Amino acid sequence: MPFPRSAAASLFKAGQSGTIERFTNEGLEGKLLDIGVRPGSRLRVVRKSPFGGSWYVKIDRQCLALRKKELACIMVK
Amino acid sequence: MHHGQVTATPVVGLVGNPNSGKSSLFNLLTGLRQRIGNFPGVTVEKKAGMLTLPGLPTVELIDFPGAYSCYPTSLDERLVVQELTNPEGDLFPDAIIYVADITKLDKHLLLFTQLRDLDLPMILVLNMADLMDADGLTVDLAKLSQELGVPVLAVSSRENRGIGELKTTIADLLRSPENFRPEHPFYEPGASARDVLSELRRELPARNDYHALLLTHHAPWLKHIPEQLRHKVQNARVSHGFHSLRAQVEETMDRYNTFEPIVKQTVRHAGDGDSLSDRIDTVVTHPLFGPILFIALMLLLFQALFAWASVPMDLIELIFGTLGEAIRENLPAGWFTDLLVDGIVAGLGGVLVFVPQIAILFFFIAILEEVGYLARAAYMFDSLMQRFGLNGRSVVALISGHACAIPAIMSTRTIANWKERLLTILVTPLTSCSARIPVYVILISFAVPPVAYFDGLIGLQGLAFAGLYFLGILGAMLSALVFKWILKTPDRSFLMLELPEYRTPVWRNVATTVYQKSKTFVVEAGKIILIISIILWAASTYGPRESMAAAEVQAQEQAVARQLSDEETADVLASERLEASYAGHLGKFIEPVIAPLGYDWKIGIALLTSFAAREVFVGTMATIYSVGSTDDEFRIRERLAEERNPVTGQPVYNRATAWSLLIFYVFAMMCMSTLAVTKRETNSWKWPLVQFVFMTAIAYGGAMLVYQLLS
Repeated sequence: MPFPRSAAASLFKAGQSGTIERFTNEGLEGKLLDIGVRPGSRLRVVRKSPFGGSWYVKIDRQCLALRKKELACIMVK
Repeated sequence: MHHGQVTATPVVGLVGNPNSGKSSLFNLLTGLRQRIGNFPGVTVEKKAGMLTLPGLPTVELIDFPGAYSCYPTSLDERLVVQELTNPEGDLFPDAIIYVADITKLDKHLLLFTQLRDLDLPMILVLNMADLMDADGLTVDLAKLSQELGVPVLAVSSRENRGIGELKTTIADLLRSPENFRPEHPFYEPGASARDVLSELRRELPARNDYHALLLTHHAPWLKHIPEQLRHKVQNARVSHGFHSLRAQVEETMDRYNTFEPIVKQTVRHAGDGDSLSDRIDTVVTHPLFGPILFIALMLLLFQALFAWASVPMDLIELIFGTLGEAIRENLPAGWFTDLLVDGIVAGLGGVLVFVPQIAILFFFIAILEEVGYLARAAYMFDSLMQRFGLNGRSVVALISGHACAIPAIMSTRTIANWKERLLTILVTPLTSCSARIPVYVILISFAVPPVAYFDGLIGLQGLAFAGLYFLGILGAMLSALVFKWILKTPDRSFLMLELPEYRTPVWRNVATTVYQKSKTFVVEAGKIILIISIILWAASTYGPRESMAAAEVQAQEQAVARQLSDEETADVLASERLEASYAGHLGKFIEPVIAPLGYDWKIGIALLTSFAAREVFVGTMATIYSVGSTDDEFRIRERLAEERNPVTGQPVYNRATAWSLLIFYVFAMMCMSTLAVTKRETNSWKWPLVQFVFMTAIAYGGAMLVYQLLS
C-alpha cells in the first residue's frame, strides 16, 4: 500500500513500501548514500526489531537494519 | 617512489565493501601465511600475507578493512582513506584488487570509481561468481571492462574459481602499471569545490584533482597532513564556503548517475521475488521467535564450551602435570627444577589450557558470521544494548564472556564504533567466566545452608549460584551505563547494518579464523602469563633467609611432636615455607587492608595469587592449609570448615566472610590474561589499568558492604 504523498519512512508500518524521494538530515544522508540507499530506490519496511528502536528494511534487493533516527530522515512517496 | 619499475616488495591492497567476500579471497590467496596485527597507531586489525607470483619478488598482500566510500564513518574506514591518500606511506599499495559482490554491483562500484579517480592501478574482481548460474544472473565482463577501463575478472572464492587467472593479472599489473592507468576520471569536482581547490591545489601533496579534493575534505583528521597545512585548508574551506557534507552528497549522486547506466547495460538479474533468505528471516528475526532462537543458540554454545572443551582441557592439564612430575623425577632437586616445573611448565599449561575453549568459541562465532547470523543478532538487540552505551554486536561478547573473557574480548572487533567496542571490552570480564566456578563451588557451601525445596528440585545453593551469574551480568550492564556517561567519542554511532544473504559457511574461512585466533592468544597473551607465573613462583618459594630457615625448623619440630608421616611433614613444610615467603610477608602486609572484608593473611595470599588467574585460588588454599592433593575440592572444604580464628576461636569461614569472598570474586579483575588481551586490543596500558581499577574497586566496596552487613 503506497503512500499518496511523501512522508518520513519512520511513519511506515510493516509491509508498507514506496520510492525514496529525498533525505532531510545532511549528516546521515552521506552515509545512507554510501550504503546504497538513494533517491529512486524502492524502500519496504519489513518488520520491527524485537525490542523496538530499529527496523528491518528492504532497499531494492538489499536487506538493511536501520535505526528509527535513520529511517526518519528518509522521505518516501 | 612506487612508479616505473617493480619495487623490492610490491604492496597489493585488497579493498572492497564489507560483505564483498574480501577476506575469503584473502585467505584463498595467502593461505595461513598471514600476519595479524594492528595498523600503526590505530586499533584497527591489519591483516597482511605473502603472495608469490612467477617472475616477481614476493608480494605483500594487505587486506584493508571493508569500506563503503572515501567518506569514512568508522575507524576501519578511516584507515582505508588514510593509507590510500598517502603515497609516501609504507602501506600505500602499488596496485589494488578491488573486490565487489557480483550481485550488488550497483552499490559496490561507488568506492571503486573513487579509488579509480585517485589514479591507482586496479583490477576489478567480481566475487561470488558461483551465484551467476544459480540466480540466473548474467554479466558482460568484456563490456564492463571496456566501460570502466580496468581488467574485470569473475572469481568465486567459495569454489576456488578464477584464482589462477587473477594471479596472472596481478603479475601483469605489477609489471606494467602504466597500462592500467585511467584515461579520464569518473567525476570532476563540481562548482562548489572548484574555488577551494584552485587555492589549495598547489599547496596539497596531491597527485591529481580528486586526490586534492579528498585531502581538503579530510585534512582535519588525516595523520600525514602537517599541522600548518591543516590550518591553511581549514581557512580556505571557510573563506570559500566549502561545505564538506554537501559536497560529498553532490559527488556521490554524480557518481551513481555515471556508473548506474554501465551496470544496467552489463548486468542482468533474473527474478526479483522473495528469496530463501527472506523466508528464513521471517522466522530468525521474528520479534518473538528471533530472540528465543538466539537464546537457544547461545545455550548450545555455552553447553559446547563446557562439554566439548573439558576433555581436551583435562588432557592438557594431565600432559603438563605428567611433564612436571617427569622433570622433577629426572632432574636433581634444586631451584632450577622448581623454576622449570612450578614456574615455566605450570605457566605454559595455564596458557594452553584455555586454547580448547578459545578454539570452540571461535569455531561457533566464525560459523555464525559466515552464515550471516551475527548481523541479525546485532539487529535484534541493538536498541536494548544502545541504552547501555553498547552495540547490538556486544551481545555475542557478553554471552561468550561466561566461558572465558579472553576470546570474548577478541570477538569485539566486529564492533565498528570505537566507544561501543571499548565499553564492551571493559565490562565483559564482569560476566562470570568458567574459572570462577571452582571458587564458587567451595565458598557457596559456607555462605548458604544446604536447604532444598520441592523435593530437592530447587536448592538454595543452586539459586545462589545462579544469582552470582546474574550479579555479574547486572554489574556489566550497569558499569557500561556509567562509562557511557563518562567517555566521550567523536565518532557518530550508526546502525545502518547490512543483513547479507544467508550462505553456507566456507570451511576454509572458519578453519583460518580458529587457527589465527588461537595462535594469537598463545603467542601474545602467553608471553605475559608466563612471566607472571614465574614471578609468582619466585615470590611464594623464596623469602628472607632467616624466616625461611626458622620456618623449616618449626615444621620439623611440629612433625616430630605430632609424629607425622613423611607426606604430612612435606605438607606442613610447604605451608610453613609459604608463610615465611615473600608472598606470605605480602599477605601479612596487606592484612589491614582486607581486614574490613573479613579476610585474614592466608586469604590475602590466595587473593594475591588469584590476581594472576582466579583458578589459582584453589591451589593456593590447598598449599596454605597443607592439603596435599590440590584437585580435591571436598577435602579443602572440610579443612576450611575446621579453620579457627586464633584469637576468638570462631570459624574463619563463616557466612559473612564466605559471602564477602564470593562478591569479591564476582567483580574483581583477577586474570592477567584478560588484562593482557585488553592491552593488545586497545593498544594501550590505559584501558587495562582502568579495567583493573574499576572492577577491583567494585569488588572491594561490594565485599566490604556485604561483610559489614552480615557480620
